[in-house]
Amino acid sequence: MSYSLTVSGLVKKFGGLVATDGVSFHVEPGESVGLIGPNGAGKTTIFSLIMGEHRPTSGSVKVNGREMTRLTTAQRIRHGVSRTYQVPRPFRDISIAENIRVGLMPDNIWRMIRQGPDCARERELALSVGFGETDLARRPAELSMGDLRKLEMARTMATEPKVMLLDEVFAGLTVAEIAMIGELVQRMRRDGMTFLIVSHDLKALEPLIDRAIAIDRGRIIAEGSYGEVIGNPAVRASYLGAE
Amino acid sequence: MNLRWHHLALWSALIVGMFLLPQLVGKGTLRTIIFANYLALFAISWDVLSGRTGYISFGHPFLIGIGAYTSAIMTKRFDVPVEYAIPVAVLVTMAGGLVVLLPALRIKGSYFALVTLAFMELMYQLVQVIRPDLTGGTRGMSGIPTLTRGAANGFYLSTSLTLAVALSMWLLMRTQLGTALSAIGMSEESVRGSGLSATRLKLFAFVASAFIAGLGGAFYVHYLGSIAPRALFDINFLFTIIVAALIGGAGTIVGPMMGAFFLTFLLEYLRPWLPGAERYLIYGGIALVLYMYQPKGIFELVQTAWKRIPRLR
Repeated sequence: MSYSLTVSGLVKKFGGLVATDGVSFHVEPGESVGLIGPNGAGKTTIFSLIMGEHRPTSGSVKVNGREMTRLTTAQRIRHGVSRTYQVPRPFRDISIAENIRVGLMPDNIWRMIRQGPDCARERELALSVGFGETDLARRPAELSMGDLRKLEMARTMATEPKVMLLDEVFAGLTVAEIAMIGELVQRMRRDGMTFLIVSHDLKALEPLIDRAIAIDRGRIIAEGSYGEVIGNPAVRASYLGAE
Repeated sequence: MNLRWHHLALWSALIVGMFLLPQLVGKGTLRTIIFANYLALFAISWDVLSGRTGYISFGHPFLIGIGAYTSAIMTKRFDVPVEYAIPVAVLVTMAGGLVVLLPALRIKGSYFALVTLAFMELMYQLVQVIRPDLTGGTRGMSGIPTLTRGAANGFYLSTSLTLAVALSMWLLMRTQLGTALSAIGMSEESVRGSGLSATRLKLFAFVASAFIAGLGGAFYVHYLGSIAPRALFDINFLFTIIVAALIGGAGTIVGPMMGAFFLTFLLEYLRPWLPGAERYLIYGGIALVLYMYQPKGIFELVQTAWKRIPRLR
């Protein structure tokens, strides 16, 4: 079953700085939307507000019609929305399998003690993002940026999200790694996953999205198909600077 | 839990070996082991909190002090039997653990360490000025009921307690809970981002740590039969606990036990040659070299040696 994502009138102020200024959009179940804009436009802040890592000054976030605004990050994840980070944040001193295990754990101390790890599922998730059998015991310090992103994808997928937010998922990757992550996203789209994807790599982003939303200075400046948004003069000006 | 035959063999050998010791060594050595046992308990308690979650506590004597003073006051001033006083002391210390948790909900790193240091200092001042008729003020208390008589009995009690706590915690930390607590120390944000309540995990770590500190503090005071605030809330005592956990191997449970025995025996055997504070110079030097050579501690050295004997595994 696919979930929708609805953001309404999202405002976030950091002191005098307005990071998001009344952002509203809706992502249909199973739809993939690209969120684009120049550095500092407010894309990552929107992700943090959706995930509850920042409290909004006003506005609301709904996942599949359910109000998320007052829930903690962990509760939102259990309700089906997860994200990856621009800079991967692995658990550095434990193996790839154990990193994925943390995503698979029940949020209940008694069950954590009683239940053994689901090694088969850990392996399945690791292999699904492109790791090999021999990689399972490796530690994050031994991994390339591409592998770290794969690991983060696997740990995020372990939480069984219905809506995934991918933040700069192609940054620092080789062409082959971009293709591999792209293929993984396409496969998950076919399975009905709802995506909101932030990327500066517009070429890699285009085939992965149904439509795009462009923001600048915390406001939506264009919305529509990828071609329409990229061709929008306001979007071009925000990227290249107005004459 | 991923238990292997050599885990069972090593724990069995440790338990049997420890209980045979009174037949093999003198009373002086047994008394040294008793102190090593209590230091091991305190180091394990510190390890469950700081070694795992990365919230470095500089105020562990605060928790140990709550356990020790609660049991001492109840037995000495109100004639409560020791068998009731100790569980109550442990519960009160667990409540103290919740007090230490409060700053950890907002701050971390060196700020958290300093706040916990302030807790220890606060406790030191409070026991001297608040109701000195109960706490004994600056002089502390003596004549507190003891649980055992003689070195051998004290050894059996402290060894049983330490081994029971160490084995329970070792087993617990081999479950998924142990992995989750370690993950907090590596990236609390990623733990939240994995759908786990970091606050609930921290609550468990703080209360479990306080449980061991309270248990250790209460039994320790009923072994010594006295309590002195200057010795309990002393920075040297605090650093001995932390150094034992670190040079033994933080985050391993067994490492802090090894560190506690290493430090206690080192200081004890240096005593005839260096009776004064010079001993701490030697101990500091050894800790420094060990830490430079193997930051993961004695436990890692032993593990590395074990891995070089492949046919036994």
